[in-house]
Amino acid sequence: MNCRSEVLEVTVEARQVEEAILALLHTILLHRSTGKFHYKKEGTYSIGTVGTQDIDCDFIDFTFVRVSSEELDRVIRKAVSEFKDALSSDGMGQISLEFYQKKKSRWPFSDECIPWEVWSIKVNVVNLANEQERQICREKVGEKLGEKVINVVEVINRHEYLPKMPTQSEVDNVFDTSFKDVQPYLYKITYQITDSLGTSVSTTMRRLIKDTLAL
Amino acid sequence: MAHFETEYQRLEASYGDSPPGEENLLMHVPEGTKSHWHHIENLDLFFQRISFWSCFSFKNLCAVHDNTDKNGFTCMLLGEIFELVQLLFVVGFTVFLANCVDYDVLFANKFVNHTDSSKVTLPDAILPMDVCSAHIRDNAFVIFVLIISGVFWLHRLIKFLYNVCCYWEIRSFYIKGLKMTMSELPYVTWQEVQARIIEIQKEHQICIHKKELTELDIYHRILRFKNYMVAMVNKSLLPVRFRLPVLGDSVFYTRGLKYNFELIFFWGPGSLFENEWSLKPEYKRGGNRLELADRLASRILWIGIANLLLCPVILVWQILYAFFSYTEVIKREPGSLGARCWSLYGRCYLRHFNELDHELMSRLSKGYKASSKYMNCFLSPLLTVVAKNVAFFAGSLLAVLIALTIYDEDVLAVEHVLSSITLLGVGITICRSFIPDKHMVFCPEQLLRVILAHIHYMPDHWQGNAHRYETRDQFSQLFQYKAVFILEELLSPVVTPIILIFCLRRKSLEIIDFFRNFTVEVVGVGDTCSFAQMDIRQHGHPAWMSEGKTEASIYQQAEDGKTELSLMHFAITNPHWQPPRETTHFISQLKERVHREAASASSDTHPLSFSESEPRSLVANILAGPSTLASVHFACDSSLTNNAATGLTSGETALRSLSPISSSLHLRDSLSAAHRASGFTSRTMTGSGTDARTVSSGSSAWEGQLTSLVLSEYASTEMSIHALYMHEIHKQQSRGDVSRHTWHRQESDESSDSIPDEVRSEPNAHSRNFPRSHTFPTTLTSPSASPASASATSGTTVGQDGAKAQSSTQRRHSGPAADHFGASGKVVRTARMPMGGWAEGGKASSRHHEPLQEETSEDELPPHIHKVT
Repeated sequence: MNCRSEVLEVTVEARQVEEAILALLHTILLHRSTGKFHYKKEGTYSIGTVGTQDIDCDFIDFTFVRVSSEELDRVIRKAVSEFKDALSSDGMGQISLEFYQKKKSRWPFSDECIPWEVWSIKVNVVNLANEQERQICREKVGEKLGEKVINVVEVINRHEYLPKMPTQSEVDNVFDTSFKDVQPYLYKITYQITDSLGTSVSTTMRRLIKDTLAL
Repeated sequence: MAHFETEYQRLEASYGDSPPGEENLLMHVPEGTKSHWHHIENLDLFFQRISFWSCFSFKNLCAVHDNTDKNGFTCMLLGEIFELVQLLFVVGFTVFLANCVDYDVLFANKFVNHTDSSKVTLPDAILPMDVCSAHIRDNAFVIFVLIISGVFWLHRLIKFLYNVCCYWEIRSFYIKGLKMTMSELPYVTWQEVQARIIEIQKEHQICIHKKELTELDIYHRILRFKNYMVAMVNKSLLPVRFRLPVLGDSVFYTRGLKYNFELIFFWGPGSLFENEWSLKPEYKRGGNRLELADRLASRILWIGIANLLLCPVILVWQILYAFFSYTEVIKREPGSLGARCWSLYGRCYLRHFNELDHELMSRLSKGYKASSKYMNCFLSPLLTVVAKNVAFFAGSLLAVLIALTIYDEDVLAVEHVLSSITLLGVGITICRSFIPDKHMVFCPEQLLRVILAHIHYMPDHWQGNAHRYETRDQFSQLFQYKAVFILEELLSPVVTPIILIFCLRRKSLEIIDFFRNFTVEVVGVGDTCSFAQMDIRQHGHPAWMSEGKTEASIYQQAEDGKTELSLMHFAITNPHWQPPRETTHFISQLKERVHREAASASSDTHPLSFSESEPRSLVANILAGPSTLASVHFACDSSLTNNAATGLTSGETALRSLSPISSSLHLRDSLSAAHRASGFTSRTMTGSGTDARTVSSGSSAWEGQLTSLVLSEYASTEMSIHALYMHEIHKQQSRGDVSRHTWHRQESDESSDSIPDEVRSEPNAHSRNFPRSHTFPTTLTSPSASPASASATSGTTVGQDGAKAQSSTQRRHSGPAADHFGASGKVVRTARMPMGGWAEGGKASSRHHEPLQEETSEDELPPHIHKVT
């Protein structure tokens, strides 16, 4: 619970799904990435540079900015295309980008991942009958995405909780250091096709055990 | 995909390096995460544990006072270890006694032929190993019991280990996060811990939604589900009261039942709550309430059946549990079974919203003495006469037997003499408990008043009827015999499934409605019970001093002045808490009134000096009452002779020192004054009276401890006075009114107890096909009900104005533009007007549309609303 959650909703055509989601995810990640940290001796560090890149969409009248890191783009693209494949041609789905921190725990337990911000993008896929509608949709989706991007920026501009800048030993608990050229906050991309949400069995079991153990 | 090269190009050579020559220009210093106490995932659980441990150390305080610096935690852990060992021993020993002892040898029915001597030794009576194990193996029941107790023991062991882990975590939080020293640790009080948590939030932001935590946030998190339970008991939603053929009105609420309720509502599979902090979204919308109710009903049915199937296992478990937990107690003090305790239902009924366990328990414990005295008033004279005579005869027999034994101890060797002596002794003890103290004065009305000062809640019709048996019977539902408590626990596995299947299932629609109508989403806290917001406007009861301030329909009003009293209690126990504006107004107004009355009561005791509008001489009554306030005050050391005077003076100085906004500094000042004035000069406190003023935050732990102890004592006294005052006013106010007492409104059909008569006699109540649940008052349509509905609609508009005024803090859940991004505590309300409640069928108020709108907007295809919450 102790995490912010933001919900974005988009209604797009099947062929626009990938680009629309990429646009949003990349916009968020642009603001949630820094350059690589280089730690110096006295417990200080300097931050490397990050380039940005304008990307034009093919199926939407829209251009977005992303961090110019091919690696990051590849990873995101892979996740998104998985989601797109899973999404049926005329359905709903939700993909979420979750930023988290790791908390190291002792041996028998695995590391705890504590999310601090979750962005959920709800996607509605529609089928359009003719070319004219498609043209209109193309423009409309572009406008909508523009609004969303501004929204994202607004949210990010708010002065709210961000993990504190870590020391060298803890940098892996906060940032994803696997990329060569950029260092986003630790993130996870998950998706869900139908919205049949419910208390999963695992959470119930966990609760059951916790409750019996509690005083 | 077209790529347009822009000026933002990467320098190929310096992959991630800072530009050459600039290494030293831009340097950052990591803030580091020195403690890992920022950003905790499950704050609910975290705060719960903190409060538990702090309360535990608080409980141990008294022991620590006169003993050594022993750490309360260590004591408890050690105690738990011993308990585990004890359990093992008890099981082992019982099995051994049942299977491995040759009782024929022991009772000398069978002779052992020893060659050397005729003495029977203990080893003779013990069966050999193999026979013994064969015995056990043959007996399926023993194996069953062994398995269950084994599971039980393992469960205890795991629980213990888990607790140790939690304890270490919390302890390191105390030391590192809250910056307490080891020596301070056993002495901290909850108030202090809470203040430090609020402090630490500013620095570490353990809750990421807002910059600052308030006391109320912390309480909400700790007591989220308990508040719901209290509210449900308050609105008589839970089926815990039954009218039985022989026993009459009775309450059945056991731990097993409570566990099942919680399982169903809060965390079981498919429960109403999605996780620990949020209600599932479909339950927040009124659209498919019938379907949800059906689903809930079938879930209750399944859980009931599961309970039925597991019944034997639970029963054995329960018996074992009772055996192990109570044998030791009974052995130590056999009288404890005859003693009374606050029943589980009583604890729910008497609990304020947002009251922690330890606060409740300390309050109830203070009322214990008076309560048991009150119950003792009702020993039946007939029984007393019988008991006296039985005791006489038994006593004479016993005396003779003892005398004979003293004369010649061979008497003991006669069969059954020893056992009859024992039995007679027990019989006399039992009889004696029925014989009242000769010197006791029978004044139930006064006693009930003293009780009220501590328990704070009481149905209206008790006042003035304290001497009646009905009152006593009803009070005994809150304050039952320990033996009855244990018996109920034992019966629980059998009764629980019946209650679930036949009673709770029928209420599923009401439950669904309850959760929808009374859940608010508070940013940074999650979904909480709206009653727990203690908002007079939402849930105040006009008969409890919130006349004119409340806009609640009868369905929304909390019964028995729960909202008002809870609010006062919370404000008094947390003087730093800053309530919303209107609430502050209410509190200060009430305090001022009490204060004024106290002042005038002390200046002159002429009842005429009170203004007409004011209920006359309330506080004077309270203060001058010979036994009430004094015993409220220092129940421990006040004797009836001189406390009238001390009670008066201390009470009035206490009251005089009340200021609208009581800062703790001020409290401390007044505290010393109060203590000096009341002549409260017990050994420990002499210093504190003068020192309290100079105590600063940097003073020694001991001093701080003492002050906070005294402060909490002071707060409870203040609360007692306020509670008495509010009850008194309520009594005077409602004297003319239609009595709307709410001592357990009967369930379902008779629930209209709480509805004024003219509404109840509504003719077309059932003519509508809108399905409504039973506890909902019937529809308001005819002119006879128009005042109420008018007030409801006017309330609507005022409410919206108010909402506008408060828009910084509150906003509607269904608001179209979700653009309030203010970080400070905002309350997102789900549909304001209760559906299925009073205004439901009646006026189609503008508000009524809103939930529907929300739904349609959600069902619409292009989601033009960009929801950012």
